[in-house]
Amino acid sequence: MGYVAIKGGTAAIEASIARLAYERTKGGTVLDVDRVLGGMRALIDQVMSESSLYSEEVAAICIKQAEGSPEEAVFTMRAFRSTLPRKHYSNVVESDSMRVERRISATFKDIPGGQILGASYDYVHRLVDFAMSEETDQSATEWLTAWHDATSGTPSATASAEPGRLPKVLDYLRDRGLMKRVEVDHTEPKDVTKEALSFPTSRSERLQVLTRGQTGTVTSLGYASLRGYGPLLHPTVAELRVGYLPITIADPFVDEADGTDDEDAYYIGEVKVTEVESVVPVAAPRGEGRSEIEFDIGYGICLGQNETKAIAMSLLDQCLQHPDPAFPTHDEEFVLLHIDSVEATGFISHLKLPHYVTFQSNLDSVRRSRNSKQASLADRDVDLPPAPGGGV
Amino acid sequence: MTRRRRTRILVEGNPEIRRKFSANIESRHSIVEIEPPGPVLTMIKIRDTARKSLFYLGEVLVTEAKVRVNETIGLGIIAGDNEEAARDLAVIDAALRANLPETADWYSRLVNEEQRIRAHLQRHHARIDETRVRFETLDEG
Repeated sequence: MGYVAIKGGTAAIEASIARLAYERTKGGTVLDVDRVLGGMRALIDQVMSESSLYSEEVAAICIKQAEGSPEEAVFTMRAFRSTLPRKHYSNVVESDSMRVERRISATFKDIPGGQILGASYDYVHRLVDFAMSEETDQSATEWLTAWHDATSGTPSATASAEPGRLPKVLDYLRDRGLMKRVEVDHTEPKDVTKEALSFPTSRSERLQVLTRGQTGTVTSLGYASLRGYGPLLHPTVAELRVGYLPITIADPFVDEADGTDDEDAYYIGEVKVTEVESVVPVAAPRGEGRSEIEFDIGYGICLGQNETKAIAMSLLDQCLQHPDPAFPTHDEEFVLLHIDSVEATGFISHLKLPHYVTFQSNLDSVRRSRNSKQASLADRDVDLPPAPGGGV
Repeated sequence: MTRRRRTRILVEGNPEIRRKFSANIESRHSIVEIEPPGPVLTMIKIRDTARKSLFYLGEVLVTEAKVRVNETIGLGIIAGDNEEAARDLAVIDAALRANLPETADWYSRLVNEEQRIRAHLQRHHARIDETRVRFETLDEG
């Protein structure tokens, strides 16, 4: 069967796009982008993380444009990103430089620096607050004023010169010999936005794909690994922190080969991230059929405050460090090729595109098969329903 | 003062500081825009703490500008969409690279602004510290 070029959809497509604008505006009110920025913090963080682009302002515009659909907003952010030149790579960010606004540990209650709850939905009742429908700018301002007045916020005499800097729980565990020390690895990372994945992947590729993965998919696969689709024992969150990382770039007027001084760098701003280290018990073989439990670490981090995703990423990181074809969550092809929002939604969505020729071809096969079966049964005098399409 | 420290103060501090520094240079020197302020990307290279290896976390949208003050080129770069800030930062960078006399009194003003930023952050984190958990161990019997 040959392909047949068709046309005639242009006017309908234009009308459909206008219809989309109508659906967004038909109520006679539109979202102010500043209001999206002010009130959609969680969605903005999710969209930035999945699109792998840190810009709260652009994310807010994309969310408005997409009427709140994360997959559309992420697609638009990725498309926007592809129009811009990447002119810089940051100096290596060490996450102990984070200005922490929330940090908790499930391993020890008395961790150095303490447990700081920050802002989290973990401690609220999930009951509908119908007062939200009555909230106004004025009532919000009044609440804020009262909150600011409630305490002076005066720092103590021992206030840190670097507020928000806290020691890492992992360093505490390593210093006490409870976790293995690891050597610093200076291997330059690969970049999945420049080079297609090939298997087996490097660790840098895995972490990059995981951190930009679709939140729901990363969460589901992390959940699957806990439920028994892998030999994972119950992991524990050694530390979860949410805060701001300072980003610097080297002086671009100095040749890198001549050596660059970190103090000569340009500071460009901070990015909010969620970082998780999970401690995972694993059975280490000790010979003669014996094994001992030891601890491995899974690492998760993502742009914005996305705690469930970061924890799930840490589980999947640990899973993929130990490949095992018996379990899908330990199979890097299975995990890494299916968790990208744009790739997954794009491929699923392509099923909506015209497949007239493909389907016609399938239909022809069914007809031929039915007709041939009918002919053979007719020889044996058996009745069958007519073939689809009435044999036209 | 190192560039890292200075640019942090200028990026995080009151925009009026960089505006005044830049305006002062513009009023006395010839300034040519080599690259007008515009959006570009910076890829974040980060080290994971589990195996201490490097990987790419994602990109930050930044605004970048390059100017020439007399014969010296300066770079201005700041996260987000902020053309005015990028241009001001580029002028300031060029002025400091050229060691122009107008920059002589900047140090003390920058140090003052740094103290103001620190005090603001200390107040901010003092409020966050209200969410610190104070565990109490209950005695038996």
